[in-house]
Amino acid sequence: MINFIIRRLLLVIPMALIAVTVTWGLIRIAPGNFYSSEKKLPPAIEKNIREKYGLDKSWIEQYGIMMWNVMKLDFGESLKFEGQSVNGMIARHFPYSATIGILAYILALIIGLTAGIIAALKQNSYFDYGSMALAMLGLSVPSFVLGPLLVLVFALWLYILPPARWGGISFLVLPVVTLSASYAAYIARLTRAGMLEVMRSDYIRTARAKGLDEKTVLLKHGLRGGIIPVVSFTGPALASLLAGTIVVEKVFAIPGLGNIFIQAVLNRDEPVILGIVAFLSILVMLFNLAVDISYGFLDPRIRYE
Amino acid sequence: MSESKKEIKGTSLGKDAWKRLLKNKLAVFGMIVLAIIAFSVVFGPMILFWTMGITPDYIPSGIDNGALVKSFPPSAQHLMGTDDKGRDLLARVLQGGRISLMVGIISTFVSFIVGVSYGAIAGYLGGKIDNVMMRIVDIIYAIPYILIVIVLLSVFGGPNTPEFIQTLADSFGGGQGLSQIFLLFLALGLVSWLTMARVVRGQILSLKNQEFVLAARATGVTTPRIIFRHLVPNALGPVIVYATLTVPSIMLTEAFLSFLGMGVQAPYASWGSLASDGIKNIAIFPWQLIFPGVTMALTLFSLNFLGDGLRDALDPQTRKF
Amino acid sequence: MREMSGQNRFAFALILLSLLLAGCSTQASSKYFGKNNVPKNNVLRYISGSEPESLDPQVGTGQPEARIYTALYDGLVEFHPKTMEPIPSIAESWEVSKDGTEYLFKLRKDAKFSNGDPITANDFVYSFRRALKPELLAKNAYLAYPIKYAEPYNAKKSFVKGADGKFLVKSDFESPDAKVEESPDEKVEKDKDGSGSQATTDNFGADTETHRFLDEPERLAVPSDKESLDALVKDKPKLKAAVESGELVPVTEEHLGVEAVDDFTFRLKLFQPAPYFVGLLTHQFFRVIHKGTIEKYGKDWVKPGNIVTSGTFKLVDHKPYDEVVVTKDPNNWDAENVRLDGIEFYPMDEATSMMNIYKYGGVDAVYNHVPPAAWNDQIKQFKSEYLNFPEVAIEYYTFNVTKPPMDNVKVRKAFSLAIDRDALETFRRTTKTLVDFTPEGIFPKYEEARTKVYTELLKKQGSSLEEWRARKFDPEKARKLLEEAGYPVKGSTGNYSCPDFPINDVALLYNTSESNKDVAEFIQAQWNQNLGITVPLKNMEWKTFLNVRKELAYKGMGRAGWVGDYMDPYTFLALFYTENNDSSTGWYDPKYDKMLDDANKEIDPQKRFEMLAQAEFYLMQHQPVAPLQTQATNWMKKPYVKGMYPNPGTLHPWKFVYIEPDESKWTQNAEDIMKISDPSVDQHVDRLMASQTSVEDKAKRSDAATKKSGE
Repeated sequence: MINFIIRRLLLVIPMALIAVTVTWGLIRIAPGNFYSSEKKLPPAIEKNIREKYGLDKSWIEQYGIMMWNVMKLDFGESLKFEGQSVNGMIARHFPYSATIGILAYILALIIGLTAGIIAALKQNSYFDYGSMALAMLGLSVPSFVLGPLLVLVFALWLYILPPARWGGISFLVLPVVTLSASYAAYIARLTRAGMLEVMRSDYIRTARAKGLDEKTVLLKHGLRGGIIPVVSFTGPALASLLAGTIVVEKVFAIPGLGNIFIQAVLNRDEPVILGIVAFLSILVMLFNLAVDISYGFLDPRIRYE
Repeated sequence: MSESKKEIKGTSLGKDAWKRLLKNKLAVFGMIVLAIIAFSVVFGPMILFWTMGITPDYIPSGIDNGALVKSFPPSAQHLMGTDDKGRDLLARVLQGGRISLMVGIISTFVSFIVGVSYGAIAGYLGGKIDNVMMRIVDIIYAIPYILIVIVLLSVFGGPNTPEFIQTLADSFGGGQGLSQIFLLFLALGLVSWLTMARVVRGQILSLKNQEFVLAARATGVTTPRIIFRHLVPNALGPVIVYATLTVPSIMLTEAFLSFLGMGVQAPYASWGSLASDGIKNIAIFPWQLIFPGVTMALTLFSLNFLGDGLRDALDPQTRKF
Repeated sequence: MREMSGQNRFAFALILLSLLLAGCSTQASSKYFGKNNVPKNNVLRYISGSEPESLDPQVGTGQPEARIYTALYDGLVEFHPKTMEPIPSIAESWEVSKDGTEYLFKLRKDAKFSNGDPITANDFVYSFRRALKPELLAKNAYLAYPIKYAEPYNAKKSFVKGADGKFLVKSDFESPDAKVEESPDEKVEKDKDGSGSQATTDNFGADTETHRFLDEPERLAVPSDKESLDALVKDKPKLKAAVESGELVPVTEEHLGVEAVDDFTFRLKLFQPAPYFVGLLTHQFFRVIHKGTIEKYGKDWVKPGNIVTSGTFKLVDHKPYDEVVVTKDPNNWDAENVRLDGIEFYPMDEATSMMNIYKYGGVDAVYNHVPPAAWNDQIKQFKSEYLNFPEVAIEYYTFNVTKPPMDNVKVRKAFSLAIDRDALETFRRTTKTLVDFTPEGIFPKYEEARTKVYTELLKKQGSSLEEWRARKFDPEKARKLLEEAGYPVKGSTGNYSCPDFPINDVALLYNTSESNKDVAEFIQAQWNQNLGITVPLKNMEWKTFLNVRKELAYKGMGRAGWVGDYMDPYTFLALFYTENNDSSTGWYDPKYDKMLDDANKEIDPQKRFEMLAQAEFYLMQHQPVAPLQTQATNWMKKPYVKGMYPNPGTLHPWKFVYIEPDESKWTQNAEDIMKISDPSVDQHVDRLMASQTSVEDKAKRSDAATKKSGE
């Protein structure tokens, strides 16, 4: 087990470097400079700028310098925002995204698990069909459509929840609900399916045969097995949560990391792009690792080599 | 005994699955809706043009000094209203559907080709090669690809499109918008082949030691031939199921990219780009979001149901989602 | 079947919901657009655009930054809240020398930084020098280039000290090919002036060594690095010999044409007259910054806690992408007249979210161009909130005149004539038709002069002003011109085609944005309808677009817009000035340069305008661009926000803005906002103006006196 964790941890670094390299390559192949502006720069100034940012060196040198800095976890300064370190920007803006992401996932778990379990227990009931159809709807309506619709109703007609920006709890409601919808739907479907399968399995039958009461069977044995697909979904969910927060941050004008990333891409702010890609890659990979480890505790059948 | 024999004789695997699929009402619903949408998307623009003289790109700027160039709510003339530029929204939704479905299907096809070849080769060759190939998949899988797709599209979008894509687009009638769509095929296809490769590899692993493969190998059939003529066709069932579910997810991703302004570009439109145009006006012209949004949701809805149904029908053992 | 009906019910519910949405949202027609939450703490909430690049006024270049800088920094002069003309700020008054190259500013004695330090002329010298420091890499440095030796210093150039110990003078090395063939009568006139410009500025303010140095004939400045120098002297044997025998002396900040005559007198010396220059000094780039703080903290001086500002408000907090909070600075010299207790600037990027939050009542005002043009019909009903006024900004399409077919002026004219600009105006709802290169409705005096000049010039050509104005749409003529250029247009109305036109050599390039796309598609349709040519559209992301356009790597047409840096038509006309100009068209004409130079040497403003108008006429004869629209400053503010005006640049001097809790005094009809007098604002402006008006009056009187004695 420990071997497994160490091996996986060691893999994280080269993988993050690969992500950074690919991104760096893409930015560098592209035409256009971060210092472009409508006015032509006098050649002397342009030269100054190129020297300052090391653009006069060879590609290989520039790549080496960049990689060395990345390995030191020092991403340098933003090219667009004078004097702001990339590390500082990530530290400042990530909490916004994390807050929304985590709250949305918790909400999705609560709704999804509840709906999924009830639907599984009352298979083929109206609740089952209703909630599953609703879940399918949740999967089919993109969040950038759902978000504005919620804004329209709750902010622009009823004036009860703010439509954008960051502030108190009231500012969180709409973004979190928007983001959680599709995950709640997915989790509900996974839970229902997982529960149905487990409830038909031999060990549940054994538990019932042992004369355990239905509640114990359900919560102690059934849920534990039924929840595995939900846990394994959490890994990929985090990756897609990234895309989700980008949309939600854009719709609700939240100063999270996703918004910063999109702006940085549009500005060709290379250090910021690389920093965010590296940070999020490492984050996603560590999270996947955590998910893999937690399998072991949930499902005794899984063993790590 | 004799009765069951008859039954076995009468049903092939495909027919059996088809029967099971037809029993699934949700899947049937999905199929019907999809058929209707596919029909309208393919023939709708032509019908609209012949009956009403409406085209999706016509901006009535020459009439009344451009007074018609604005948003009109749904009416008998324009069933879904018009967009900001006075263009008929129904025609645009139908036209956009072509692009959306095309992006979904072709990108899936790209991922299908790449994923199946990769997975089959890894699975069949096995050993070290398999190990290395699968580690590569793991590595790419772990990278938050959406970030890289965003960088890719913003960097290579528009006129920066790589030469070969531009040439390809030119041979189909050209234009920048089209090469952007081709870039989308590639970008989306190349990121969604990973799961496909895993699914195929799993199938191949379970098939490769069966008699028909051993027999083929014994008679001296070449390795590529074994993989692509004998193994792959037998592994297609689950792959097709997975492909069906990939289509809606790619369409969603395309819509997401269009929302960020990096997806389909003018003069082309997709449901995603139409909806994201509509969002801007939601406070006063809500139909501009609702019609493309609902059409897209309905299509994804149906595709998801159909995918579920297919999975259940082809593989009754698994009931996972 | 149960599932089926479940599905159907859902679909129906969805459709019902959508109809409900459609129904409810269109019927909203109350007096106000959304909710009015009058801020109780007297703090204005304003959406300022994208996240500011920096709070350093010499670093940030865009409008979003400028909107914040006007609160944080004061300069020599401030914008008039309505007209944007310069009004006194830290400079109580100023004088211009007779030849127009020298400015003398009298500073007020009570001006203070936010930490209590007094603001003196030395602070301005420091600010100007730092702004031009090559290491700062200020993108706005070009704004200061009229100041003597600003460009050589900023571009790290050197003077050349000859073998005799004297510095080489620029006028000795003017290469003859750069000079324009002058007509004989002009030469005579010049000879009559004789003396040249240097002599007249003597005795303007105190006589100092710096002053004498600056009054000397302009020294030659050459690049300091070998490579550029070699390139420069390559075909100029005289220059080469002089440079090789001489010694390079780097231009330093001491050489700049800025000087603190005493603590409260600041003097500026320009290369050549630039009558627009005081107006330019309102720009953020010329506002005063605190030397001690910058030297102490370096780049971090703008961080909350470190920063020392000079404006009516000081920084409280800056949360990037979230808010910039400022509060009234009691140390400011004008603090007692500042009405707001503070401002919260919200940096945002999405117009949709901005309009939503405005409607919700979460902000009190938004910056210009936020309300989508398509909303105009609906939103202009809210008369107390919606403002739509001309902006000192234009939109046009550039032609790449270096590549065929656009190297042919007839083709350029044809494409320009084939755009129905009135239809475009109707379509865009807010903008106004534009056929020339300076915006309409912004410079009334210039337009007067232009009408006069155009009438005369057109008469000479056998044309008339009416015919000239018809250029806003003339498809007949456009087709004729195309035919003359060798591309006959065939077919009839509604069915034109132009088979000979090299369609593969043109495209319409624009940077990715919703409104650019709308306009491009509209104009594409126009060209298709009127010329039978379907120009392919190409859009690019901003950075790439700038590069491609600048390098003239595009074919055909490119979208362009220009926002005036100051309130003078020259800010537009100068786009085509010099060979290495910023027009992105490849068009250059030394004759045009000369016309501009001559105009700027003219002291009489009205006569200068006439000369500029001649230059503009000359420019439009060559049609290097297809002008489209004068932009509009469409934006919104809640009716209780007062003292905030739709001036041509929508930059608000925040000291005049206030929140009016009394509903009876709210703005009723924003269309009259510029005409209706607001005593509190107008009196404030008058008080500030008093010192300068008295100086100007005195100058006029003495002028009249000299004239009389001369007669």
